[in-house]
Amino acid sequence: MKEVGLWSVEEVSEWLVDQGMTEYSEALRNVDGRALLQLSESDFRSPPLSRVTGDNGHQLLERVETLRIANHMEVHKNGKHGSSHHTNGHVSITIGNGAISNGKIRNVEPKNGFHSEPVQIHIPLPPEHERTSFPTEWSKTGVAFLYAVCCFVTTSVVISVVHERVPTKEESPPLPDKFFDVFDRVQWAFSICEINGMLLVSMWLIQWLLLKHRAIVGRRFFFIVGTLYLYRCVTMYVTTLPVPGMHFKCSPKLVGNYEAQLWRILKMISGGGLSITGSHSMCGDYLYSGHTVMLTLTYLFIKEYSPRRFWWYHCFCLGLSAVGIFFILLAHDHYTVDVVVAYFITTRLFWWYHTMANQQILKQKSQGNTFSRVWWFFLFQYFEQNVQGIVPRNYQLPLPLPFLWRVLPGSRVVYSRLDSH
Amino acid sequence: MAASQFPDSGEHASDSSGCHVEVTVADSSQATPPRQTHPASDTLDSVRKGDERPSRLSRSFAKVLRKNQDYIRITIPVTRLDRLPPEWWKTGLVFMWAGFNLFCTTVMITVVNDRVPNKSENPPLPDKFFDYIPRQEWAFKVTEVNGMILVTAWFFQWLFLKHRSIVGRRFFFLMGTLYLYRMVTMYITTLPVPSMHMNCAPKLDGDSIGMVHRVLQLLSGGGLTITGSHMMCGDFLYSGHTVMLTLTFLFIREYSPRSLWWYHLICWLLSAVGVVFILVAHEHYSVDVVVAYFITSRLFWWYHTMANNQSLRDSPHNYLNRVWWSYFFRFMERNVRSTVPCTFSWPVQPPTACFKMPCGRYSIVQSIREE
Repeated sequence: MKEVGLWSVEEVSEWLVDQGMTEYSEALRNVDGRALLQLSESDFRSPPLSRVTGDNGHQLLERVETLRIANHMEVHKNGKHGSSHHTNGHVSITIGNGAISNGKIRNVEPKNGFHSEPVQIHIPLPPEHERTSFPTEWSKTGVAFLYAVCCFVTTSVVISVVHERVPTKEESPPLPDKFFDVFDRVQWAFSICEINGMLLVSMWLIQWLLLKHRAIVGRRFFFIVGTLYLYRCVTMYVTTLPVPGMHFKCSPKLVGNYEAQLWRILKMISGGGLSITGSHSMCGDYLYSGHTVMLTLTYLFIKEYSPRRFWWYHCFCLGLSAVGIFFILLAHDHYTVDVVVAYFITTRLFWWYHTMANQQILKQKSQGNTFSRVWWFFLFQYFEQNVQGIVPRNYQLPLPLPFLWRVLPGSRVVYSRLDSH
Repeated sequence: MAASQFPDSGEHASDSSGCHVEVTVADSSQATPPRQTHPASDTLDSVRKGDERPSRLSRSFAKVLRKNQDYIRITIPVTRLDRLPPEWWKTGLVFMWAGFNLFCTTVMITVVNDRVPNKSENPPLPDKFFDYIPRQEWAFKVTEVNGMILVTAWFFQWLFLKHRSIVGRRFFFLMGTLYLYRMVTMYITTLPVPSMHMNCAPKLDGDSIGMVHRVLQLLSGGGLTITGSHMMCGDFLYSGHTVMLTLTFLFIREYSPRSLWWYHLICWLLSAVGVVFILVAHEHYSVDVVVAYFITSRLFWWYHTMANNQSLRDSPHNYLNRVWWSYFFRFMERNVRSTVPCTFSWPVQPPTACFKMPCGRYSIVQSIREE
């Protein structure tokens, strides 16, 4: 639309005809755009306008006012629209990128039906946790991962410290244990246990990568594993049990030699704490058994986050886990009480956490919610605040592999484009 | 004055079970339509207010109707009264479960005593707390005294609770389960004595009569050293004293009014001091105490969350049901339909109450009538 101030006399009379106010055409035949904008009420009181106006020019003045506003906005608009849009008054909405800004009306549609640019209204995108029940929130998963790493490092340090305090086999022989009385030691059993553990961990890793809500599930795994290892630090540290069997070869004590102790700790972390990698030659970390924790926990997670109908998969993992635990004892590598306590604590913590996460009422502190009295409740709330409901077992490839589009046509449904938009 | 008046003002029949009520009530202060069958005692008050003045025709009509009037009997299922049924027989069963477990624990201690290694063979294990704090002899007496005070306090509190059968059931169940777990951990691995001062009873090597004697001696003394009944070693993982101290404190706090904060504070102090003094006396390893506290508190909170949240019981996503004792839990708490409120009442009803009861019932009905 051409600026009103630049209208010529003909355009003004055209506009008057358009507005249905032809009675003024004669009186305003010499008025151009700028003069039109400057019309005021006093002009209507003197001839010639007073002769033709019926309402003291109110209607005309209103229309001129509208024109003025439109003109004003036209002058100050910062859009990129051309000047000749006959869009018939439809409105286009642009959505901002999460920036919370007030809705701005760029162009008002003048009442006289003048065609102008489409109106754009900014609607700010709601934050992620309001848009979906299962927001991703990788930052929280990162925090959980750091927590787990801290707990692992602390455990390694504590094992190193406790190693210095383990009584020697001569001064403190292995304690009497019922299982050891019944079953004799089998040498290769512990390697089997560790192989089982590694298998379970890798299967869980692959399964986790295929989950759709891997951020949420990963968060849970890291938190639970971290807490279990933290508890383990406490029980290992306060009381030191002697070695369970005479076959143990504990590495020599390094009293006071902090540098060597540090190397030892690093070696243990790099080897994952497994004897099969040769990284774990330290003694004293008996109550409770970390191997049992990993075997049990990976099995629980695998079972929880895989489809129910894969019963053969669950049976296989259960078998791996049970055999692994049994072989820990068969190798006389831990006392029976270590394994029992580890199993108990792992299962209880897992079930506790998941029950709290799945019930909305348990996520708040209340009188009836005695679960909220655990010390880690505030951490739990931080992690699970925005997760509404039970995490469904949906699967998704971790990376959108382009060649798969052609191989699996069903995997890229048109609808998914709308979702990701 | 309403013209349609029923001379008898209706019948108030409430059966002895309080189940169903057939009521017809005419409120003389309001004009009522001729035919009235009030559904339930709750809605007795919603008498329809008719404004019109019934004429003579309607009066005779009403008389006829009254003769042929059917009383609609509506059975109200008993709901309000039975949300927290006592069910003393369940409490009795659970009490037997706790008693049985206590007995088995005693037997187990006697068995384990034979397997405890000698002090010379297996010296006390290194313990962080023992490194810092030397042994004090009188500390264990303090612990046991605290324990006895707490148990007595809890007993009196329990006696005055209104729903004592339900709460008692919970206490016995938790105690029994904790002692069961303790049996398992004591038996599978035997820790050496925590300190050289401990004098264990000599080993019996299969002398069953001697074992029976010891079991009886332990039971009669309540397992306390202060009574001289507990001379046996080996019951270290985990600590029964910690269990009792923690459990009684948790129950005391849970089932007493929130406003009695000073009472809770005193009990907490008794409990904490008792637990710490077990370690000061070098009677248990630190790990025994830590594990005992952990297991007791978690079990208590687990049980009470399951009991207090009705929605959890039917939910399929309730992982709490995967514990092995969930079947027993359902058995015990099936009919408990709400959180047990913290109300108190006299343990024994004063005798005048039984005369009040029949009048009491009428008075309730009467008050409804007058409303």
